[in-house]
Amino acid sequence: MSSADYVPSASDVRALPERAYDRLFAGRSRVQQSVIAITLAAVLSLVAFGVFAPESTAGRLFAVLTASSTLAATLRLSVPIAFAALGGIFAEKSGVINIGLEGLLIIAAFTGIYATDVTGSVWYGLAGGVVASTLLAALFAVVCIEFRADQIIAGLAVWLIALGLAPFLSSVIYGSKNTDSVATFPTLTDMGIPFVSEFVTWELGFVLDLPVVGVLDLQSSLVGLPFFGALFDAGPPVYLMFAAVALSWYTLNRTAFGRWVKASGENPKALDTAGVNVHRVRYVAVLLSGVLAGVGGAALALGIGQFTGNGPTMVNGKGFIAIVAYLFGNYNPVGALASTMLFAGLDATQLTLQARDVFNVPTELVRTIPYITVIVVLALFGRTRLPSAAGDHYESGEDE
Amino acid sequence: MTQTDTAVRLDAITKRFPGVVANDDVDLAVERGSVHALLGENGAGKTTLMNVLYGLYQPDGGRVVVDGQPREFDSPRDAIDAGVGMIHQHFMLVDTMTVAENIALGNEPRKWGGLAVDSEATRREVVELSDRYGFGVDPDQTVADASVGVQQRVEILKALYRGADVLILDEPTAVLTPQEVEDLFDVLEELTDQGKTVIFITHKLGEAMHAADDVTVLRDGKNVATVDAADTTREELAELMVGREVVLEVESRATDVGDVVLDVDSLSVLDDREVPAVTDVSFAVREGEVFGIAGVDGNGQAELVEAITGLRDPETGDVAFDGRSVTDDSRRERIEDGMAYIPEDRQERGLVMDFDLVENAILGSQHSPSFSSRGTIDWQQSREHADAVVDEYDVRPGNPDARAVSLSGGNQQKFIVGREFERDPRLVVATHPTRGVDIGSQEFIHDRLLELRDEGRGVLLVSSKLDEVQGLSDRLAVMHDGDLMAVVDPDDITEEELGLLMAGEYPEGYEPRDERDAMEVPQ
Repeated sequence: MSSADYVPSASDVRALPERAYDRLFAGRSRVQQSVIAITLAAVLSLVAFGVFAPESTAGRLFAVLTASSTLAATLRLSVPIAFAALGGIFAEKSGVINIGLEGLLIIAAFTGIYATDVTGSVWYGLAGGVVASTLLAALFAVVCIEFRADQIIAGLAVWLIALGLAPFLSSVIYGSKNTDSVATFPTLTDMGIPFVSEFVTWELGFVLDLPVVGVLDLQSSLVGLPFFGALFDAGPPVYLMFAAVALSWYTLNRTAFGRWVKASGENPKALDTAGVNVHRVRYVAVLLSGVLAGVGGAALALGIGQFTGNGPTMVNGKGFIAIVAYLFGNYNPVGALASTMLFAGLDATQLTLQARDVFNVPTELVRTIPYITVIVVLALFGRTRLPSAAGDHYESGEDE
Repeated sequence: MTQTDTAVRLDAITKRFPGVVANDDVDLAVERGSVHALLGENGAGKTTLMNVLYGLYQPDGGRVVVDGQPREFDSPRDAIDAGVGMIHQHFMLVDTMTVAENIALGNEPRKWGGLAVDSEATRREVVELSDRYGFGVDPDQTVADASVGVQQRVEILKALYRGADVLILDEPTAVLTPQEVEDLFDVLEELTDQGKTVIFITHKLGEAMHAADDVTVLRDGKNVATVDAADTTREELAELMVGREVVLEVESRATDVGDVVLDVDSLSVLDDREVPAVTDVSFAVREGEVFGIAGVDGNGQAELVEAITGLRDPETGDVAFDGRSVTDDSRRERIEDGMAYIPEDRQERGLVMDFDLVENAILGSQHSPSFSSRGTIDWQQSREHADAVVDEYDVRPGNPDARAVSLSGGNQQKFIVGREFERDPRLVVATHPTRGVDIGSQEFIHDRLLELRDEGRGVLLVSSKLDEVQGLSDRLAVMHDGDLMAVVDPDDITEEELGLLMAGEYPEGYEPRDERDAMEVPQ
């Protein structure tokens, strides 16, 4: 039977809930099944409360979760984590565990602000952050690949160097651990939506003969959509993030370089004997992690317009969360983005919950929600397989 | 012989490593379209020589000539470009990738201006090559799911895909079943028929004689002789390899068999992934006999042995030692009861590589009153013990202060055998006791095992080497997929029948084993 002849029969339709049930529960352990069931029940009752009793605690929680501002915050919080996670994927898939992502984010955040301050352009600022992070990643690469340092220790060193250096430079230049405020990335609306309007006009104006003002209305009406409106009014880093995820996925899965990265992390000797220089592949992968983390770090700081360097700095563990994100996403860029957004979404929710005081509990407890959820989810559903040669040095011509 | 008839010529190759001359002025000429065997003991320099030809090592002296042209290979890439391909002993494959992806690795056909891999073209070329030489591999299979024999073909295809005319195979039969070995030799014949040249490294005499046209013997890094395979004998080759006369066949059978010393009853064991590795296995080993277990590696032998020696908890079933159940006893209690163990991986389990021989000599007996009192080790006693083992078992160099890592594989193994036998055991569990050991040490270890048996001890011998288990065992079990296929008389069964059993098929005249029979020990 070809697909053209296919007409769903009544029994197929009746089987739908059954199939949904299979997808959710089949082949899972008892604990996993009960967690899924509880989550489902919780989501359904949240929706019910939101619709029928909007003034109850659950109803207000529903309102928080479905607010367009929550999605906007989620996207904003995702950017540094997702970029660092993508960088971590390239490095670790090639066999170099880069736990210095946190340090790369910090140095890029500071340099992003400084370069913006000097040049007056956020785009030059972004470029400056990328350069700084890539240089630090290059140092890490040389130490790990050429001089065979322990990757974990070298990664920690990268973090500690940046953790000390960025606030120090800020003190020297700005007289305080926090920099002066500079320009921030505008959102599409702020930018007068230049490229959205032109692009849409060009595409639609031709076909539908819409006046430009109509197109402007289209964009603003998209922004006005409940919840999803945030997708059409974010800053350029958010769109860069989606593009980077797609590009990373393509690079890893469809290009020769992606295959070499995989082979370099699984069996470097196989790659070497196939005539590909393992060191070169690993250098490129680690430098790529520097570039990607650089975009993330600079975007983080330029979203606020200031670098704050007290304590763990404004990066505040996002580089380490990124490691969790890509491990949970099993080294798949799309999976890493999904787990990043899960974490960022919980973080955005807890921020709003704090602000609106929905639950009558101390904010310290509310703040732990994302971390606890991630631990539970990881423990129950994490199925990560590390590349076989991750963390191992490789020298051509040496016997193991 | 004209220039063009010689595919590869090595002139006076010398390769030194710190403290060792691995290749000493070695000449080698390989005729085009022939199979050339490179025969020698472990450490004779065979693999080093081929790594030089493949560009992995740069020689300290001498010249590589391919197709009549002197070449200098700085890396395998150069060798590949000159048409030389090598299939290593440990396969150089990426387990998580498919067959086709592995074959094309590093030479991926591109499309869209290099922006994407052309997977279709890869598949097409792989299928074409595979068909031409009758390999029959599935390009979309993940390598981790492919059998060892298939993985080897993938390696060969990888070399052919890169345009190799000369194929070097390093110990290609080490991991194969007898049937797979035959298939491999058919493949080699097909390759030479189509004009390819094959060099294979081996330390097995029979293979060199059976599959090769010419045999070059290396000893201590030197080329001892190159002979025509048709004009030589096993005895001659063995003597060339070892440098003295060697007794090849051990055929001595148990004469005085006593009581059951090890009784394994319906034992089931899980592997590290919690998958059943051994299912309901029963057998018994008696005093004064060698009970052999043959089988392809990975059919549950490792888990079975670990359950018997106390390194892994069985799922169900019972292990009785000397008439008493020891299933819940620790490894230490079993050692103290007299169960010695020669482990499969001497560097992982047999020795602490960074310890010297004095320390290694008392591993497992460190609690024994002869070596310690009140928690302090008596190093004087330990040293005397280590000296005795080194002397008695001819461990070289005979220096008990040497670290284990500095010994060759054969000497490490002799040391472990010595240590275990000196415990005065009632049962020895020996797994692959001669794996990676040269012929001289092999002969020595075999003799010691038989001596022990003749003294009335029980020996459980697990090995994937057919000639070894068949030659030494008094009764021989064949293990396949976690179960004992049959217990046979090693004198009555042919190698082909054993091969079938190892592959999980019953040859004519053999029946699936009834587990209940196993409990009754034939007298």
